[in-house]
Amino acid sequence: MAVRFDALKTKHQLFHVSISLGVILICMTYMQYRRNWTHLGSFWDSLIIPIVFTGEMLKVILCFYYGRLEDPTLTQKQKQRKASYFTPKDLASGLLLQFLCTVLYGFICIILGAPVLQNYEQTFVLSLLLTLLSVSPTVFLLGGGGALQVWFCEKPDFLTKTEETALNLFKYNALGGILGAWAGSIVSPLDWDRDWQTYPIPNVVGALMGSALGNIVACTRVLYATFKVYMSKKRS
Amino acid sequence: MKFALSYALILAWLAYLISSGVYLFSRGFLLSRVSKTDVNSCRHLSKDPNDEYFLTDDVVDEIFKDVNASSNLCLPQKSKVIILLIDALKYDFGVYKENVTEPLPYENKLDVFRDLIRNEPQHSRLMRFKADPPTTTLQRLKGLTTGSLPTFVDIGSNFASPEINEDNIIDQMVKNGLPIVFMGDSTWTDLYPNRFKRSYSYPSFDIFDLDTIDRKIEKQLPKEIQKDDWQVLIAHFLGVDHCGHKHGPLHEEMSRKLTEMNNVIKNVASQMSDDTTLLVMGDHGMTISGDHGGDSYDEINALLFAYSKQTKFLNGDYGSDTDVMQQIDLVPTLATILGIPIPYSNLGLINFNIVPDVAVPHMTKLQTLILHVWQNAQQIYTYFYNYAVENKRSFNVEQMDRMDTEFILLTHRVKSIYNDAAFKSFIGDLNAHLRQILSTCRELWVKFDATQMSQGLLVTFFAVFLPFVLISNTPAGKLSNIFTIKELGYTYLLNLAAGVFGYRYYRNFSFKTEEHAVIFFTNVISTLILVFHMAQNWYTIAISWSKVKRFANMPTRAILIILMSICYSNSFVVNEGHVLSYLLVCVIILMAYELLQKSIRVDFKTKFKPQQFIKSTAFKLLLACVLAVCLIRFATTFFRCREEQGNCMDFTTNSSAGSFSLKKPSSAKSYILSIVIVVLYTTLSRIYLRSCGNLTGTSVNILMARYGPTVASICTGGHILLSNSSVKNVDRTHIDMMALIVYALLVVQVIVVTVSPLMVYVLPQKNKSTISVSRTDNIIPEIFKKMKSMYQGDDAERHSDIPVVYGLATIYSSVLISFGTFLAMVLVIILEPKSCSGIVVCIAVGAIILSLHAVLRYRTAVNFETCVQPTFTAIVGWFILGHFCFFATSHQTTLSQIDWRAAFVGRTTSIGQSHFISGILVILNTFCGHILFSCMFGLLATETFSIFALFPTLIKTNANRDRKLDCNNTTKTASATYDRSLSEISNECVGFDMTRGELVLFENENIFVGTVFKLAVQLYILQGAKIFCAMLACTIHCRHLMVWKIFAPRFIYESIATFVSMPAIIVGFLLILRIHKGVDGLISKINKNK
Repeated sequence: MAVRFDALKTKHQLFHVSISLGVILICMTYMQYRRNWTHLGSFWDSLIIPIVFTGEMLKVILCFYYGRLEDPTLTQKQKQRKASYFTPKDLASGLLLQFLCTVLYGFICIILGAPVLQNYEQTFVLSLLLTLLSVSPTVFLLGGGGALQVWFCEKPDFLTKTEETALNLFKYNALGGILGAWAGSIVSPLDWDRDWQTYPIPNVVGALMGSALGNIVACTRVLYATFKVYMSKKRS
Repeated sequence: MKFALSYALILAWLAYLISSGVYLFSRGFLLSRVSKTDVNSCRHLSKDPNDEYFLTDDVVDEIFKDVNASSNLCLPQKSKVIILLIDALKYDFGVYKENVTEPLPYENKLDVFRDLIRNEPQHSRLMRFKADPPTTTLQRLKGLTTGSLPTFVDIGSNFASPEINEDNIIDQMVKNGLPIVFMGDSTWTDLYPNRFKRSYSYPSFDIFDLDTIDRKIEKQLPKEIQKDDWQVLIAHFLGVDHCGHKHGPLHEEMSRKLTEMNNVIKNVASQMSDDTTLLVMGDHGMTISGDHGGDSYDEINALLFAYSKQTKFLNGDYGSDTDVMQQIDLVPTLATILGIPIPYSNLGLINFNIVPDVAVPHMTKLQTLILHVWQNAQQIYTYFYNYAVENKRSFNVEQMDRMDTEFILLTHRVKSIYNDAAFKSFIGDLNAHLRQILSTCRELWVKFDATQMSQGLLVTFFAVFLPFVLISNTPAGKLSNIFTIKELGYTYLLNLAAGVFGYRYYRNFSFKTEEHAVIFFTNVISTLILVFHMAQNWYTIAISWSKVKRFANMPTRAILIILMSICYSNSFVVNEGHVLSYLLVCVIILMAYELLQKSIRVDFKTKFKPQQFIKSTAFKLLLACVLAVCLIRFATTFFRCREEQGNCMDFTTNSSAGSFSLKKPSSAKSYILSIVIVVLYTTLSRIYLRSCGNLTGTSVNILMARYGPTVASICTGGHILLSNSSVKNVDRTHIDMMALIVYALLVVQVIVVTVSPLMVYVLPQKNKSTISVSRTDNIIPEIFKKMKSMYQGDDAERHSDIPVVYGLATIYSSVLISFGTFLAMVLVIILEPKSCSGIVVCIAVGAIILSLHAVLRYRTAVNFETCVQPTFTAIVGWFILGHFCFFATSHQTTLSQIDWRAAFVGRTTSIGQSHFISGILVILNTFCGHILFSCMFGLLATETFSIFALFPTLIKTNANRDRKLDCNNTTKTASATYDRSLSEISNECVGFDMTRGELVLFENENIFVGTVFKLAVQLYILQGAKIFCAMLACTIHCRHLMVWKIFAPRFIYESIATFVSMPAIIVGFLLILRIHKGVDGLISKINKNK
């Protein structure tokens, strides 16, 4: 079986995953350092959002770094899109998209049982975190218009190979984060009377853990593929 | 059609299997006490010299030579007794608080107690009167008269009060010649028919009626007190309890009722003769909202007040509690006062605080007391040890030995009591010993029968698991081959044989009862039959199993697992409503996500256009999703709180006055809101039916569907408004009549559906000329096409000779919907006005789930079978919705929060006072969601087709379209594919013509009926799995602290839900069968006319 092994892609994937895991590790260290988790729900007091934001930016930069190498092979469409990336219109639509997504997540949080008229800040932090984990990387990478295309079309025709790799990994991150936040609610009805049971701490921690899990799954897949290539090479 | 009947028989059979398992388990888990029919008797030591046991010094010496040998003695009667039982008289009501400027409505109203205690402290006693849960009136009366502990299983039989066969104080009074006069609640005369010399019993049926019964008692009471032909007089007042149920303790009415009671007590106390003891007591308390039934502090603390006019009471030096009296202690105390034997199965102790200090001739006070105490102790000892001998296995041998030794020690000590100090120390030890017996019994009567429990679990497991493997994994078309009517006949015969065998030989297999053996053997046989079928069809099952993808439906499975594991954690059970709403929202979000995934990504192949997106159906459906989740969130405001939930604001109560809350009639706004919602619901369903063309014509069922819901909603609105209005002079019969009309409409609808179900209108033919379709051709598509062109206003077609049928495309679902509307109206009128918006909200959510699922289903369908079989997500969503509706209509899984008012809707004026109807109404109220959504499950299968008949343009959206187009493009030119008709597209995509709506279902009747049957079985499986989890949770947690408070009620509710929803599913299935038969008749009639 002739499996073409793309060393560059694998490297990119591994770096990407290690950045994600590193970010989660930093978050956990930070939480451990602060001891008390009750501040996790506040916007100004907690460092989780900036840390995650930096992490996502790093991943995007990583993708740009690897994408630089394939610049000469771009098609017309891809070049067009690249050119429109930093235009004000694209920036604005990207920001708008993220804002809408935050509102949507906030709405879902409230529908799923968050208090309607209280805990604005907590809901905002949670939905911001979910946006950062799921929507933002794609928007940072492709701009507002591009992101929309990626989400709603079956096969967008403008993606470069690096971008596709990155998007694939973003998917794990996003899915893990959302499912983690969803599953985090499990502890909230329990009558253990712990201070970390208050909304939104389980959901925030759940989102982080979920995205870590998603990244671990992604990492395992990459390593497994590499391992298979390695074995087949060895055999031949 | 033959196979359809066999399906119904299978459903009944499976229902029997599952419910027999549940029944077996509940017999083991909710054990009842074995009631013993032995009766005590005694020798009366009399003051009359002519009697056999005339009291002399010699006799007394004889007795005290050996106190142990002197059992069964009765000392002379001390006084006559008047018992005023005031239902739900809480301890707080009677405590007079000085220095309160603004007393709450229930405070300081009973000042007669204060006055009597202040003036005659030796003649009156005020005590807490501690009830044993369950605190329902019937159970309390049993406890108050037999002196024994009620068991958990007795609860809920409040409506069918059977006669008491156990030895009890009333029978003892009668047997010892003490005439009793009774007045008040007719529960007494149900429990003790023909025991009273005179009885003025009035039905306690109408709980909204605060005054009638009390007035009647007040009229009789003074007359009876004047007469002297009775020794015991019992009066049971119901007004306070009814007031609590209707208004809660904080209403002005409560203060009026209590003042009234105060006057009654005052009059009785002044009128009664000197040798009489007055006992005023409550049988239980009430919670902050005025309800009772549970075991909270408010509910078990009733009040006891005793007053003796002439003789003083014994004082508290004799070991009895002075502040608190257990309710089971009343029986021995009464027996002491009246000089009659203590009932055989009594476990209470004499409380000397309320025994009048009447001297017995030739005896010292000490001797009298010893005699009383020792009679009591011997009676308890006899009962307890006889019970233990008969139920050997249930006792701990060492503990029994220890208690036996202790008692023997006491028998020695009793002989040597000569002074007060010795007596006091003796009675202290004796009481401690007897209380220990009591607590042992208390433990014992909640002891579980492990055999029945484990067998119940196994039976339910097999009855759920085997159908899952067999039926859920067989393609719908092949189901009719598996279950032929002949084989089913054998199945039933075998089961019958096994049942008879079990009934006949149950002793040989060491079963305790016949039912147990019958259930055991029938289930063994049934399991074997199912396994046989499974082995026979293993090939088919294996094939369809191999087609299941490994990680298909993962999120739905996760939701299902969470749903099933709710029962295992007490905090999840407490917050079950919120967990269910969480899961339901998740199901809808999941469906919306799938919609995005399956449709939008397909619609926009390479470029996303927001304009086009906003115009698309998917976007509208997304908006509907948003509406649905908002509705679900809104419905959570109807949730009722339970005790365990901290900081929970109950919508039915307002925590305005301290810890108490007022059950005030809520503002008119909420009633108007619920009426508007109900009217909106009927109007929308009517508009839907009309747009389907099902409301054309003049046959009875169409007229019913056209005007019935309107009439029903008017009546419902009127009932809601009038029954809660502050206008008092509306005749009760008029209000009842509205509810009766709604009931009658449902009955008429049932009859109509059985006689002629179809809601179609065959346009009479104007021109009976030739037929253009040959006999061999399928006639139906032609008819339908004509009908379509009729709608499009083709004049030429109008005069053609092909019969035109209105409403053919929605022929199945229209009848279901119309039936569902009537059912829903009945449920709405039974529900509380505020919670009836909950059920309508649930129906709306159900409609949205249906339409969402319809579009989604078609998009992924590849053939007819996949198109008619609902997705796993939709089934789970439907199931959750049924359970969610339970909470959305303000119910909770606690025993004190059963809404008993439902039993009186439409029956306040003594129409049909049968307990059976009351029970049915309460069950309809409590399990409205389960019933409605189980009956309507057929819509999941049919709605896909009716939606597409209504909006044929949706047909283009199938996911297969593109794949097939690609194939087509290779042969045809691209332009040719564009102007195809919708039916062609549909034919290409799913292999049949979708535009014909539900007629397709008729053409593929084998698959359709098979799928509906499969769907019913799948709902069975879900419900069975849920009840299995509840049972398993009870087994695991049977020593949990909260087992009687949380897990056992949860299990009871779930089991009744199972018993209710399985017949409802069968009803839904039969409904579909009936419609199917009707369609069959219609088509053949049309064919014949040609």
